[in-house]
This record gives sequence, structure tokens and C-alpha cells, in this order.
Amino acid sequence: MNRDQLIEYISGKFGDKIEPLKTGPVEPVFLLKDNSFLPEFCRAIKTDLTLQMDYLCNLAAVDTGEKFEIVYNVASVEKNIRFDFKLTMPFEGAEIDSVQDIWPAANWYEREMWELYGINIKNHATLTRFLLPDDWNQGNPMRKNWDAPDFIRMPEL
Amino acid sequence: MGLIKKVPAYIEKFPGGGIVTTSLNYVFSQSQASSLWYLLFGTACCAIELMAAGASRYDFDRLGMIFRASPRQADLIIAAGTITKKMAPRLRLLYDQMAQPRYVIAMGGCTVKGGPFYYDSYAVEKGIDHIVPVDVYIPGCPPRPESLYEGCLKLQQKVKGLKIQDWS
Repeated sequence: MNRDQLIEYISGKFGDKIEPLKTGPVEPVFLLKDNSFLPEFCRAIKTDLTLQMDYLCNLAAVDTGEKFEIVYNVASVEKNIRFDFKLTMPFEGAEIDSVQDIWPAANWYEREMWELYGINIKNHATLTRFLLPDDWNQGNPMRKNWDAPDFIRMPEL
Repeated sequence: MGLIKKVPAYIEKFPGGGIVTTSLNYVFSQSQASSLWYLLFGTACCAIELMAAGASRYDFDRLGMIFRASPRQADLIIAAGTITKKMAPRLRLLYDQMAQPRYVIAMGGCTVKGGPFYYDSYAVEKGIDHIVPVDVYIPGCPPRPESLYEGCLKLQQKVKGLKIQDWS
């Protein structure tokens, strides 16, 4: 199905909980407005027979200056469909449900998000540190407001 | 190892003893410089250039340098590649396991001062001379095999100038 059919199908199926954004030149990007709807949404797009999104390509967190955005890139191997969807959340009390039961690849991506950004993941099986050194006590490095004595920023030219 | 350092002090008391010591210095340092065995320590992209220098076109074996996998059998570490803060204690552990006399070559920009990761990096150790004492620095990203050759030849010059009393 091409891009417009995909946008129509998803908007028709999930109604006002999802909203197509204008960005994305090749793959459509959707904004999920309700963060607690995430597990049902992921289960629905995986088990749906016209979509069958069984491949989680990427799961990343973005720190724009004011809030966190969490971006999921999903694809379907059978039906050759790709789209992205994202959630937004404020800095304080940032937490999200784990989609590990639906796509097992999300395990490491969520651990990386927890370690580098500080976003709490609920229902995760093994939330341990694996990227940063074992005795790291300097916070969450990928946030924009993180600083350390030996962190040298690129000077303005 | 400590015993042989005291030998020149006794030999030099005899007439003509100085000649024996300088000949011994010459023989030992020439033989050391001609067979520096390096530890395989390639972390990142500079390791590819290290492998290229060890392959057939630029051959390391004609300088007498063979790679060894264990630090106990090596007397040179060519630290090729970015060293992160998580890797730094492991590098120190490997350096401590080597038998003296031992040398370190810092290959590539990342080991000299952080290289391209000097700005905006939370995890890169900016220069390995915080961790191990370095003998030769080779700049480049990555340095060509000819640059690595020049670094090794400079190290050989340094080794040949070493006296038995200064073996550390």
C-alpha cells in the first residue's frame, strides 16, 4: 500500500489517538497523543493482518530543548511497509512502558535510553547498566543540560 | 633483572672495563631494537592501518616486529584506536602485565589528545598519556603505514641509545 493509503488506514483504525505529521519525505510519521495507549497500539499494529509490523528498526529518544520525544521506526517484512511514530513527554517524571514483549529487540534500546537519558522504563526485565563505565556517577550524558569538568563543547566559530 | 644492572659498575673498575660495557650495551640494545614484539591492541580504525602495515606490502616482519597475543610475551604496545573511559583501566592492566623493558607507541589522533572526539564527547579518554607513559606519538587519522613505520624506526633509535644502567 502506498503512503496515502497507509495514512488513511491508520487514521481510520485508531481515530483520534494518532495524528499524522507533516514531516517525513519518504515514510509517514505519526504522533501518538496518549502515552498509556502505547502497548495496545503496538500489539494492534503487530497482529493486524494488513499491517503485520513485526520488525522494530529503531527506538530512540530525542532531547529537544523543552521535552523528550521517543521515536519508534517500525517496518513490515511481509507487506513492505515502513512508518515511524513518536511520543512526547516532559522532562520530569519521564517514563514509558516497555514494548519488549511485542518486539524483543527493544530490550537493548530501552536500556540505552534509561542509561543515557534517564527515562524510566516500566515492566522491563533486566534494567542494568551496560554502556557507561561501572563506576559512573555523573548523571545522564545525553541530556542537553548535562555538564562535566572534562566535557569540552565545540566552540562557536 | 636487577642483578645485571649492577654488573657494569663492577666491570668498569678494571682497566679496559669500559670497553666491555660499551660493547655489551651495543649488543644488547641492537638486539632489542631489531626484535620488538608488539601486543595486538587494536581498538578502532587505526587497527586497520596497523594490520595493513603488518601485511605484505608494508611488512613489519622485516623490522623484526611480530604480533603477540599475550602481554607477557610482548615488549611493545602500539595503542591503535580510541580509548574510552571504560577501556582505560584495562589498558593499564595490560601495560602492567608486560615485562620490562617495555615501550608504548600512541598511534593516531585519538590516543594523542582525543583526536576528532575532543569536542562534545562524554566517554572518550582524551589522550592515553594520562594512563600509560608514552614513548612515541604518531599523529594522523589514521596515520598511513609509512607514518607508523617512521614511528617504529624512531622508537628503534630510542632503544639503541639506551644503556644497561638505564633499563627500567
